[in-house]
Amino acid sequence: MGTSIREVVFDIGGGAVNGNPIKAVQTGGPSGGCLPLDKFDLAVDFDVLAEAGSMVGSGGMVVMDEKTCMVDVAKYFLTFLQDESCGKCLPCRVGVDRMLEIITDITEGRGRMEQLDLLEELADTVSQTALCGLGKTAPNPVLSTLRYFRPEYEAHIKEKKCPAGVCKALISYSIDPDKCNGCGVCIRGCVHDAITGEKKQPHVIDPQLCQKCGVCRSECKFDAILVT
Amino acid sequence: MLQYVNVSIDGAIIHAVKGTSVLDTAVEYGICIPHLCHVPYLSDIGACRLCIVEHVVNGRSEITTSCTLNVEEGMVILTNTDRIRKLRRNLAELLVAQAPNSRAIQDIALRCGVTEVRYPFRNDDCILCGRCVRVCTEVWQARAIGFVGRGKDRHIEYPFGVRPDFCKQCGNCIQICPMTITPCDGPMKPGEEYLCRKCESQLMDETPGSCSWCKLGEGFGCGRYV
Repeated sequence: MGTSIREVVFDIGGGAVNGNPIKAVQTGGPSGGCLPLDKFDLAVDFDVLAEAGSMVGSGGMVVMDEKTCMVDVAKYFLTFLQDESCGKCLPCRVGVDRMLEIITDITEGRGRMEQLDLLEELADTVSQTALCGLGKTAPNPVLSTLRYFRPEYEAHIKEKKCPAGVCKALISYSIDPDKCNGCGVCIRGCVHDAITGEKKQPHVIDPQLCQKCGVCRSECKFDAILVT
Repeated sequence: MLQYVNVSIDGAIIHAVKGTSVLDTAVEYGICIPHLCHVPYLSDIGACRLCIVEHVVNGRSEITTSCTLNVEEGMVILTNTDRIRKLRRNLAELLVAQAPNSRAIQDIALRCGVTEVRYPFRNDDCILCGRCVRVCTEVWQARAIGFVGRGKDRHIEYPFGVRPDFCKQCGNCIQICPMTITPCDGPMKPGEEYLCRKCESQLMDETPGSCSWCKLGEGFGCGRYV
């Protein structure tokens, strides 16, 4: 209690793996909120975190780097909360379902700008009117990501792009011909036979066959797989 | 002997019977609070959340359902503030988008000031208000239907999905169900749902604060009509 988030993440936790830049920390379990890097000086304390839109909750922290899409994070937690809802009161049962519907639309490229305001209004309604603590905190993942990472939502809607390269409907995989040395690891790794190419020649991904599973990206030793 | 307490609802000092809910007190005194899952002779579960009010405690107001809130001495309740109206409208919008195929739901949406539905319509048959379950359990003591499942899968069902012998087929569950009242223009087909809004002339102003015995109340089973 009272220790700053920065101290917990960087000093005690040792920072990010591979030295990737850290983007956010999610505190307090699924119904907590996501805090951006510039809030890392906040102390781990009930009132301080509640004011910032998160909570101490279970006391857990999930640290996320630049490869995490915040819209996807909100979607993930909403899916979990929808599962946890008992279904007794309307705002939690239907409200969380509708929030998930809107966020799914956004991650799949069907989002519209006015949906963001609707999402915010709905989240506010659910948090104020739900029957129990689960419903009252269920919109936290949405509200906090909307508050601190709104440009990311806007990029999904306006440019139809996922800046972190996570949302499958909005990204495409390609191979950087300068970095690829034609070792063939990705060809053997691809279960969809979407990669072709001669040995020692730069390989090519067929976007029609590619299922965006990301295996090639994790197999490649030379960072030649580009996600845009 | 009945004990009385003084409560302030929307500024009116009301001499209310101790042990009654804020909703019953307000409706009895002609202050309109829209409600759906509440039926006067049944217990309250606070499922529809439409009867939310602001309960002012020490200068801070908290939002709570009036059907589950009992009157206490010196209580201050606000039923028709901007904040409440907005929340109620959003809830009614969720409700009508989920199950537009009923006059009761259309009427309550109209009463709560819904003018457009910003979500795609779904044509659900049940809004889980629990009226049928409570009438079966509390009035007839039959316990022939109950809630099954949780979250999105919650629904009303016979025990193990088979009609038991202790269901006397009295039909009360059907009579009390708000979804059995068809819209004025007949049932809506899936994909052709709309917001009715035809009875708008029934409303005195945008959202009336006091009961005007509007015809809308008949639709959604307002406590004044039972």
